[in-house]
Amino acid sequence: MRKVILISILSFFITSCEDVIDVDVPTASPRLVIDAGLNWFKNTSGNEQVIKLTLSAPYFDTEIPQANGAQVVVTDTKNNSFNFLEQGNSGVYINNNFIPEINGEYSLIVNYQNEVYTATEILKSVSSVDFIEQQNDGGFTGDEIEIKAFYTDPINEENFYFYRFTNTSEPDISLEVYDDEFTDGNQIFAFYTDEDLAQGHELLIRNFGISEQFYEFMFILQQQTGDNSGGPFETQPATLRGNCINQTNPENYPFGYFRVSEADEFIYIVQ
Amino acid sequence: MKLLKSALICIFFLNSFILFSQEKYTISGIVSEKTSNETLIGVNILFPELNTGTTTNEYGFYSITLPKGTYKIIVSYVGFDNINDTISLTENITKTFSLSETTENLDEVVIKENIEKLNIRKPQMSINVLTSNSIKQIPVVLGEADVIKAITLLPGVTNAGEGSSGFNVRGGSADQNLILLDEATIYNSSHLFGFFSVFNPDAIKDLKLYKGGIPARYGGRVSSVLDIYQKEGNNKTFHANGGVGIVSSRLLIEGPLKKDEGSFLLGGRSSYAHLFLPLFDLDNVAYFYDLNTKFSYKLNKKNNIYLSGYFGRDVFRISDSFENTYGNTLVNFRWNHLFSNKLFSNLSLIYSDYYYGLNLDFVEFEWNSGIQNFNIKYDFKHYISDTFKLQYGLNSIYYKFNPGKIEPSTPTSGINPFKLTDKYAFENAIYIDAEHKISDKLTMSYGFRFSSFLRLGQDELNIYENDQPVIFNEDFQLYQNAKPIDSESFKRSDIIESFSNLEPRVALALQITNESSIKASYNRMSQYLHLLSNTSSPTPLDVWTPSGKYVKPQLLDQYAIGYFKNFNDYSFELESFYKTIKNRIDYIDGADLIANNAIEQVILNGKARAYGFELLLRKNEGRFKGWLAYTLSKSEQQTPGRTPSELGINNGEWYSTAYDKTHDISFTGSYQISKKWKLNTNVLFQTGQPTSYPNSQYVFEGITIPNFGNRNADRLPAYHRLDVSFRYTPKPLKNKGLQSYWVFGVYNLYDRKNAASITFDRNATAGINEATRLAIFGIVPSVSYNFKF
Repeated sequence: MRKVILISILSFFITSCEDVIDVDVPTASPRLVIDAGLNWFKNTSGNEQVIKLTLSAPYFDTEIPQANGAQVVVTDTKNNSFNFLEQGNSGVYINNNFIPEINGEYSLIVNYQNEVYTATEILKSVSSVDFIEQQNDGGFTGDEIEIKAFYTDPINEENFYFYRFTNTSEPDISLEVYDDEFTDGNQIFAFYTDEDLAQGHELLIRNFGISEQFYEFMFILQQQTGDNSGGPFETQPATLRGNCINQTNPENYPFGYFRVSEADEFIYIVQ
Repeated sequence: MKLLKSALICIFFLNSFILFSQEKYTISGIVSEKTSNETLIGVNILFPELNTGTTTNEYGFYSITLPKGTYKIIVSYVGFDNINDTISLTENITKTFSLSETTENLDEVVIKENIEKLNIRKPQMSINVLTSNSIKQIPVVLGEADVIKAITLLPGVTNAGEGSSGFNVRGGSADQNLILLDEATIYNSSHLFGFFSVFNPDAIKDLKLYKGGIPARYGGRVSSVLDIYQKEGNNKTFHANGGVGIVSSRLLIEGPLKKDEGSFLLGGRSSYAHLFLPLFDLDNVAYFYDLNTKFSYKLNKKNNIYLSGYFGRDVFRISDSFENTYGNTLVNFRWNHLFSNKLFSNLSLIYSDYYYGLNLDFVEFEWNSGIQNFNIKYDFKHYISDTFKLQYGLNSIYYKFNPGKIEPSTPTSGINPFKLTDKYAFENAIYIDAEHKISDKLTMSYGFRFSSFLRLGQDELNIYENDQPVIFNEDFQLYQNAKPIDSESFKRSDIIESFSNLEPRVALALQITNESSIKASYNRMSQYLHLLSNTSSPTPLDVWTPSGKYVKPQLLDQYAIGYFKNFNDYSFELESFYKTIKNRIDYIDGADLIANNAIEQVILNGKARAYGFELLLRKNEGRFKGWLAYTLSKSEQQTPGRTPSELGINNGEWYSTAYDKTHDISFTGSYQISKKWKLNTNVLFQTGQPTSYPNSQYVFEGITIPNFGNRNADRLPAYHRLDVSFRYTPKPLKNKGLQSYWVFGVYNLYDRKNAASITFDRNATAGINEATRLAIFGIVPSVSYNFKF
């Protein structure tokens, strides 16, 4: 909600002058980035899962280095152990026999360059998207397309949602998180708008059930990316800490997050 | 109670002491402007033979007690002709003076004998005084004369950049300024997110900004006091003045209710809709308006009453999806009473509130929040002798805080109604302050304020394990909310938490020569209210929260020392200050402050400090007027871990505040070219404000994330600009009927693209990361027409 309000206020500054400039930025040494989102899409077995390992890079570099040669294992509480194997030298690690279970607890163990990283997370369920509503007179200029993806929140339980809108016709990805503090038990919507969105575009809407900790993580992440950063209304940026811990050398903490979700997908063609 | 008793005893003895030393008589009265009877603040009443004097107070009243005799008297005020007179003091007398404005004579240079020694002798330091006239001289963006923009040109005053609200004094945050309009507290000083301030320059008589050595009669904020007095209105004849600019228009009318006894003043100001919106065909609205009113009435020689009011609102609407209204309201009734010619009193009854309302139609909910308070103040000024003056009084404020209420705005809304718990508090203070001329060279002021704050009963106060609403997760090295284990409800009359603080205030002035002195001061202050804001500058939707079980009052200690000199038409001030603040609240990473009913779960108590040098060279009279200010300072805050295993905020290290500017140079001046033309100019240079640049990037969930290191470790490029304006008065000699002038201005003459912020984002089309500079104002020309009749 905060985001909605601040964006609305920030839009008053749009008429000011913006230009791209050269800035000297500091450079920190690289850290391991764990992009581990295990998704159990509804009506699938959920056996096939992918974890990506990369390294952080200087801010203006155009290449993101992969983290190769790591051992990646996920375990559950029933003594199952799922090995993730790297596809060639890609930094992409794959497993084909994962067993998902709602509210199951999963642990991740990554051994990279003789340092052991671990994380634990619970697989959260999610409500499906009920329907999509499109409006063509939204935004600051009044002619932007707005998409509302309605879903029904289960009553009397705390739920957190992660939405990912991908416009497959334009290189645009939008990540949103929602809680149900003020919407418990109601039919409510996830919101997407982009000035480049046009009729005929295909919108891939994926939603995931998430933990409160991942919600908090994404909340900070959103503040620090895109439109929300900079300006008199910015919040102090902070180093973003996920749920992965370096057991060997805690100072060399990794970026990223180990998330386990039930997921759903909705494809919408913009009218 | 004990303190109050000893204070009263002290006053009693001082009174009886005076009774024994007879042979002294009191001269007292009012000093006002000749044509309007508008009282004047800070006029010097000097007795050159005795080498003594006094100044008029906020209501134009003066009083001084001297040995029997016949003396020369000089009444002197900047911009006005002196009155030279002789009085024979053989009994207590009342004498009223009327001063006339100096008409500037350009043909000859008049060197006035400098007799304004009182400011050199007074222990009050770290104070800047601006009159409405000098504020109107300063060139400003879009041609709108502005109080806050004017004071940020003074040494020790900054803000967090163009388009940011509020102002920062000596490294303090914007919520640490006590802003008083006719003695009533203003909670938000900005219109349009900081582009304009809420004060109508036509309605203002005079303002004082106290940056240090703050007298005991002020309290409740730790950084500064901005004390603004509105005009009473002309009680002789009817007048109007106003202006038409490219952004807003204003009109003020004033006149007698009853000649020489009562007057009224009504002022209004409004900006035009669609201000920043280039898309005129759309249903977008952004405007503000405010109304100032004041009625003054002299009941008799000993009693004056005043009723003043202010109402201001900002309104924004973006098509049908977003509507936002906010602003201040205040009503103030005051009664000036003279108990004797030595004892002046003022009783104020004040109601003020701040309202914030929002209707987000596309999410289908309404939101409102605010603060209301009732304030009673009773202040006494006791002019005991020419060497001893006392000020004492009391102040009680009752607060009601509405942290927010959410309501669905449509029947189909997916939002459940929700009310954040209202909070109540009661703040009380008593104070006494003496100004004591100890010898010909040394004057001291000393006193204290005793303040207490009672947090009154409310519903649903959360209770946490070990009283810790914030827990530190050692595994992930981050702060997280604790879950309440219980909650407690109280009766309104219960006291949940109470605080009290003794705040000593001491200052001294040691006169070195007739024209120079050294001053030093120490003050302790406490602040019981906190503005919840984790952005670089406050936003209108930030809410105030009282101290209580989990949030402690802020405590300030400030030390300042300075050298002051007057020569010819110039004054020179050099000051150095050091201050520390305890219990400065800081927010855990990712704190969501909006609609948060458990704000204690995201707050940690930290500390702040600031220190620096300030230099001010000012010329008050003559064809050229203006000042040059330079500030060298540092402003930082720190929130270490509560235990050694905790990380603290920003790794527990000190970090620069968003308004820390190492070097800050401002020059503002006006030069009378001819009778018709006047040139005004500003030159500014400031170190770029602190910000955080990313030190690396990574890819997560398909998007590029910038990673930031320590807070505010980098700086924006330096800020500088030049503004020029010309004031053209077509008929300068006309002083009856319609008088008018034009102001032609250019803001940021050499079109410097000063960065208000630098945003780091990915250009998805090009697939590269970019740094984008936002410059709010390039070169901005303006014109305005101003009139009075």
